[in-house]
Amino acid sequence: MAEEFYVRYYVGHMGRFGHEFLEFEFRSDGKLRYANNSNYKNDSMIRKEVYVSPSVVNELRRVIQESEIMKEDDKLWPMPDRVGRQELEVVLNNEHISFTTSKIGSLADVQDSKDPEGLRVFYYLVQDLKCLVFSLIALHFKVSPGVTTLP
Amino acid sequence: MGDVAMDVDAQPTLKRKGRGFQHDGGREQELKKEGFDSVDEEGSGSAQRSVEGWIIIVTGVHEEATEEDIMERFNEYGHVKGMHLNLDRRTGFVKGYALVEYDTYKEAKTAIDGENGKDFLGHAIHCDFAFSRGPVGGARVQQNGGGRRGGRR
Repeated sequence: MAEEFYVRYYVGHMGRFGHEFLEFEFRSDGKLRYANNSNYKNDSMIRKEVYVSPSVVNELRRVIQESEIMKEDDKLWPMPDRVGRQELEVVLNNEHISFTTSKIGSLADVQDSKDPEGLRVFYYLVQDLKCLVFSLIALHFKVSPGVTTLP
Repeated sequence: MGDVAMDVDAQPTLKRKGRGFQHDGGREQELKKEGFDSVDEEGSGSAQRSVEGWIIIVTGVHEEATEEDIMERFNEYGHVKGMHLNLDRRTGFVKGYALVEYDTYKEAKTAIDGENGKDFLGHAIHCDFAFSRGPVGGARVQQNGGGRRGGRR
């Protein structure tokens, strides 16, 4: 049986244009789901799904493993607020993390937090994950993943 | 109720950590809804065609590799019409993978067969199709994956 593996990331907020968010998940069977709703300038909801190959899943697993995010804890991270929230959920090697925090505008926010080392791991991992997912979605569907209003 | 998407009760052996496990009213899980678009294209074997061609993933890419290095190597199998060589956001070096796009199945397949396991700047690289026609490692292995209606464009 394939080892349990799962990744989900969410960033979003409730604002002038309603619920604007980006969310994606990978399941251990390779299913990638991607949803992006930005109502700004009449952008509409993008919802895509595709199966990625085991090689892509393995690469994703490597990126997460090497980040050492599983060693971190969100207990000292900024709480989600009106500006927005981020969620990162990962199941890997019999560990299940589900971290929640506010949006992070820049590295300065990381440095000023109570857990700069942990938050920095999160900050960079999230960018690396988004980067992979945007490439996959852009190449497969030939759409811009539509990230205009998101950090 | 909570924000956790996985059915955690079904995974009692998992060690849990994080505030996401606390119920805080939560929000609707967008990913659990229906109505996700997928590419309605034939595949070939277990590989899935993308809207405008075939995408392969190359892993084990040296951190100092350049787009030119990849281009030079993979253009030998056909015209590389697109490429993403993403960088590590912290270090600025290559993250370790490249996505390479070809027009035809044949070009992509020849590149995979020709480069998988080969040395690239001192590292062995691994090459494979990036997208698949269905679940991997599961019971639903597709039997009839030949792409009869011109899947092998």
